[in-house]
Amino acid sequence: MRFAVDTGGTFTDLLVEDAAGALQMFKAPTTPSDPIKGVTDALRVAADSMGRTLENLLAEGETFIYGTTHAINAIITGNTARTAFLTTEGHPDVLVLREGGRAEPFNYTVPFPEPYVPRSLTWEIPGRLRPDGSEMAPFDDAACRRAIAALKARDVKAVAVCLLWSIVNPAHELRVAEWLEADLPGVPYTLSHQLNPTLREYRRASSTCIDASLKPMMAAYMAGLTERLRSNGFAGRVLVVTSQGGVMDGADVARAPIHLINSGPSMAPVSGRHFSILDEGNSTAVVADTGGTTYDVSLVRRGRIPWTRETWIGQPFRGHMTGFPSVDVRSIGAGGGSIAWLDDGGMLHVGPKSAGAMPGPVCYGQGGTKPTVTDASLVLGYIDPDFFLGGTMKLDALAAEAAIAREVAGPLGLTVDEAASAMIAIATENMVQAILDITVNQGIDPREAVLVGGGGAAGLNSVLIGRRLESPRLLIPEVGAALSAAGALMSDLMAQFHATLFTRSSGFDYARVNAVLDALEQQARAFIDGPGAGSREQTVTFWAEARYPEQVWELEVRLPTPRLNGPEDVAALVEAFHRTHEDVFAIRDSASAVEIVGWSVSVACRIRGEVGGTLTTTAASGAGEGARMAYFPGHGRVPTVVRRFEAIEVGEKIAGPAIIESSFTTVVVNPGAVAERRPSGSLSVDPGRGGTA
Amino acid sequence: MSDTSARRSGDGVRLALINNRLESVARKMANTLLRTGRSGVLNIARDFSCCIVTRDNRLLATAESLPIHVLSGPDLMAASVSQFHKTIRRGDAFLHNSPYHGCSHPADHTILVPVIDDNGVHRFTVLAKAHQADCGNSQPTTYMGNAVDVYNEGALIFPAVQVQRDYENIDDVIRMCQMRIRVPEQWWGDYLAMIGAARIGERELLALGEEIGWETLHAHEEDFFDYTEQRMIAAIRKLTPGTGSHESRHDHFPGTPAEGILIRADVSVDTEAAMIDIDLRDNPDCMPCGLNLSEACARTAAMVGLFNSIDHGVPKNAGAFRRLRIHLRENCIVGIPKHPTSCSVATTNLADRVANCVQAAFAGMADGQGLAESGAIIPPAAGVISGQLRDGSRFVNQVFLGLSGGPGAPGTDAWQTLCHVGNAGLCFQDSIELDELRQPIHIHTRRFLPDTEGAGRNNGSSSILVEFGPVGCDIDIGYVSDGTDNAPKGVRGGLEGAPAQQLRVTRNGAVEKLPGCAQVRILEGERVRSFSCGGGGYGPPTERDPVVVARDVREGWVSAGRALALYGVVASEAGVLDAAATEALRGGRA
Repeated sequence: MRFAVDTGGTFTDLLVEDAAGALQMFKAPTTPSDPIKGVTDALRVAADSMGRTLENLLAEGETFIYGTTHAINAIITGNTARTAFLTTEGHPDVLVLREGGRAEPFNYTVPFPEPYVPRSLTWEIPGRLRPDGSEMAPFDDAACRRAIAALKARDVKAVAVCLLWSIVNPAHELRVAEWLEADLPGVPYTLSHQLNPTLREYRRASSTCIDASLKPMMAAYMAGLTERLRSNGFAGRVLVVTSQGGVMDGADVARAPIHLINSGPSMAPVSGRHFSILDEGNSTAVVADTGGTTYDVSLVRRGRIPWTRETWIGQPFRGHMTGFPSVDVRSIGAGGGSIAWLDDGGMLHVGPKSAGAMPGPVCYGQGGTKPTVTDASLVLGYIDPDFFLGGTMKLDALAAEAAIAREVAGPLGLTVDEAASAMIAIATENMVQAILDITVNQGIDPREAVLVGGGGAAGLNSVLIGRRLESPRLLIPEVGAALSAAGALMSDLMAQFHATLFTRSSGFDYARVNAVLDALEQQARAFIDGPGAGSREQTVTFWAEARYPEQVWELEVRLPTPRLNGPEDVAALVEAFHRTHEDVFAIRDSASAVEIVGWSVSVACRIRGEVGGTLTTTAASGAGEGARMAYFPGHGRVPTVVRRFEAIEVGEKIAGPAIIESSFTTVVVNPGAVAERRPSGSLSVDPGRGGTA
Repeated sequence: MSDTSARRSGDGVRLALINNRLESVARKMANTLLRTGRSGVLNIARDFSCCIVTRDNRLLATAESLPIHVLSGPDLMAASVSQFHKTIRRGDAFLHNSPYHGCSHPADHTILVPVIDDNGVHRFTVLAKAHQADCGNSQPTTYMGNAVDVYNEGALIFPAVQVQRDYENIDDVIRMCQMRIRVPEQWWGDYLAMIGAARIGERELLALGEEIGWETLHAHEEDFFDYTEQRMIAAIRKLTPGTGSHESRHDHFPGTPAEGILIRADVSVDTEAAMIDIDLRDNPDCMPCGLNLSEACARTAAMVGLFNSIDHGVPKNAGAFRRLRIHLRENCIVGIPKHPTSCSVATTNLADRVANCVQAAFAGMADGQGLAESGAIIPPAAGVISGQLRDGSRFVNQVFLGLSGGPGAPGTDAWQTLCHVGNAGLCFQDSIELDELRQPIHIHTRRFLPDTEGAGRNNGSSSILVEFGPVGCDIDIGYVSDGTDNAPKGVRGGLEGAPAQQLRVTRNGAVEKLPGCAQVRILEGERVRSFSCGGGGYGPPTERDPVVVARDVREGWVSAGRALALYGVVASEAGVLDAAATEALRGGRA
């Protein structure tokens, strides 16, 4: 038996997979002050529903896979360790300057962001290397020890070391490490060339500082989680979901906690890929996960999930770029809690401000007064006020209606239905823009991609989003409300290793490139023999980070051959680069040489059997099937069929207008759209034409 | 004009939806250009813009772009295309960089593509503009401050020249560029990127017109201009009515008087009529140097100062411009230049002085509005570096190693990496490692310097020191560093920011001053020290929150001595505030 848990801001999702591959889904509220309690609570809910004790259930578990927002929350709330930054002499402001850049050029009300580590905790270390790794100025042991003594006096709990060109020659960083071990024993530290050997000192320094600052806390947290599971009878393997869309052993991730930054959202495309291929036979997908306050978009391009190093914690240019490879997930402030408002020219906006969990939408009756997307959905008849979240919460439709009338409909001269419908249309457009931004950057045409909707609120407007994008198909997996946890069950043990070596296709340095690839392959083999021991299948893939000369951003290209032994191999690599560039940017400069600045190997070890991904039917609670009145633009209020998600037969076609409900989600099938059930349990919707507004 | 409640019902919804679509087209163009461009100035400085203008040449929608690029200019350039080309067909594209016909300056190559529907009707024009690494000047720089006229400057000028027909390049033009532009492969890469971006904009607009109907789209234009005008009226009515002026002096450069160039702007705000007038006519005539503004830059610089001073949420389009009168004069150095006046440096130096005059004039009119002066540029650390490697190959590229220059604002301290007011911080700052890999240079130091902030209630930026030199060859650096003699001024009692400075460290360690505007050769073994301008402070430093001043001391921005002398704050060297002593000191001064 395997368990997958995804701790979100509001709910902790649990999927339990039995030996036959059948799934059961459970949810428990997240306890922000003690996230591990949410985990054990969800496990207890599962045990109760199966009529077993927690110990009895856990004793059967072979793997526990955990996705958590604990690391990123610690950064956002400023609860990381007091960290020192050691940098090359002459360059103390790497974290202050970042890479420059600013959003909203006319907005002079936003303060300049504080560096991740303050200047007062930054020390300059003498010693300088050149781009070829040769030493220009020697390392100064005495100065290094003086800096360590000074930071010791400042009660520092973690140390980040990032020196210029350590990626080509690590000697100086390693020397700092020797002195840290000697003079500051027991204080965790991170060396940039080991954590993230990539060009560009800000990205490397940022990831190094973030990693070091998380070490004390995440080591304790992972130990605490394992201990709690063990004490309740779990004897299996504890794995953690990483930003890279794979899993790692809990103990390993505690030693490099930056892997946890996107733990959770990174898994949505893993399950999105699975269902897109299984249900629609299409390996290109746009995966959209709708929560209460954020809308996370990720992609699958021909079976591969694109990565980026430009992941921001907080807003771009105002937060911190991690600089560390992560599944490319674009988040915007849009969701059920997004608030509708008018500007002083009378234009309607929805979000980015959200009513959050408290006070929440007006209809929650917890003191919210600003109308939200959830309120609009309720007014339009999409949500059943008596059956929200399986009937666990009663909603106040009259209050929602009054708020929309007062804040939107009145000022705009619309009926309440028209106003609510307009709110959905604007929210839809915001989400569409988020999808268009990430797809244009990754060179994906949404008209050729399956739109996969996950998260509890996905079903409310996904048909409309699919229409705007001209998606061939909208897919709502049965486990869609726990898309990330489902992805965790499908994921592989993964690792990636990088090396920096600059060369050009003209004048290619065969010997050094192949030596680098040999060294990378050794690291990959060591991973397979270590954490990957006993895995069912192993895949090793080599990559080059390449660009046209003078370009400053690189593209990752898969090496057509594992080594480059002659001009034909280089020509194949160059052609692969041209093709990737054309894919992503629609431009190909066939006559141009190609520069390669970095090399990497990724290794994936399959630790699972074939995944079914089908939910065993849970007893339907409360509401049954029937009909109610719902409003659709262009149609007005019309009688609308209401069906239970799990009661729909495979292959049965349901034409809109219809509403399909489960205990976890509501799917609105607009007039003109047709839904049907796939054998996997997914709901597959042809979005149809019809209006989008 | 009517008020909001009388608008046609539902307008607020349709407006939002269609506007969103149009902005999305511009953004898609910009994303394409940013990700495919070759030169550093394009993809590091983000020195490019993409926008949509209406069929009658009014600015409709822009992607987020550096301000000096886009507010005025696209309208003028689109008009010149119609003027010079009587028949326009689908598949045409035009290359434009003429400062005498609406472009900002000759280094800003612009591709204009008319969007023609299936019936041959011209619906919109899309523009993609990008600063080139080289534009064929007589010297290897795109900012030729010492150019006495356009002939001396030497740039190839393209006044709306057709460069594509039926979606195919007109090779005659391409060959001319390849023969006269340094590192032509780089230009070619950027040209392809611009064409790609413009064609994506064209494709998307054709699809949008098809989807929602051309007449609906055109109706939206008028609605959106009306809506924007309403926003502008509301924004103007939040200002204090009256008039204000501000003067700001550009340093002496070759071809200018010894005392430099005094620039002034007169601003008047009529909240009743909801109109703003900006008068730039009381300024010197054009001069025999490269600093003269093009008409596009003169207009835009005034608008930058204005839009920096009002509600930033007002969309920047022709609807907002209806509430704005900018008064320019022919043959004025910040007005309408006559051929063959050189406008080589039109997007930065005097344009920044104009924008600074406008925003500081707003600040002078009332507390809580406007901005202090931002720092001047372009110091050697953001200069154009060129030379020849040992293997004989040539290189030329602009670096962005260290610019600060942010002005103190009414509600917050400066954005440290503003670069200059016309760029507004969009510029990326180069990675040390990337530059050392890309160019034959070594960067010894890059750091902010203490006690260089523009002291105020809210501080202006501090100054960045960059010390660098060539590796394995000599290099030429072209730069036009204003602000050495005339530091950015504070407003409302705020103090000046640090001036710029440029020094040469010779092989024997001697330090000598370099001129402000020059093309200098730095020999192997020598170094340049480049100090960026800071920014002016907003409000008296003695009104700055003592807790924040103590933090400035702790974090190394301000010394304890300066905290005491300028801010009246008593803090230890470690930044521990003595609140009682501070209160006593400040109380005594008041």
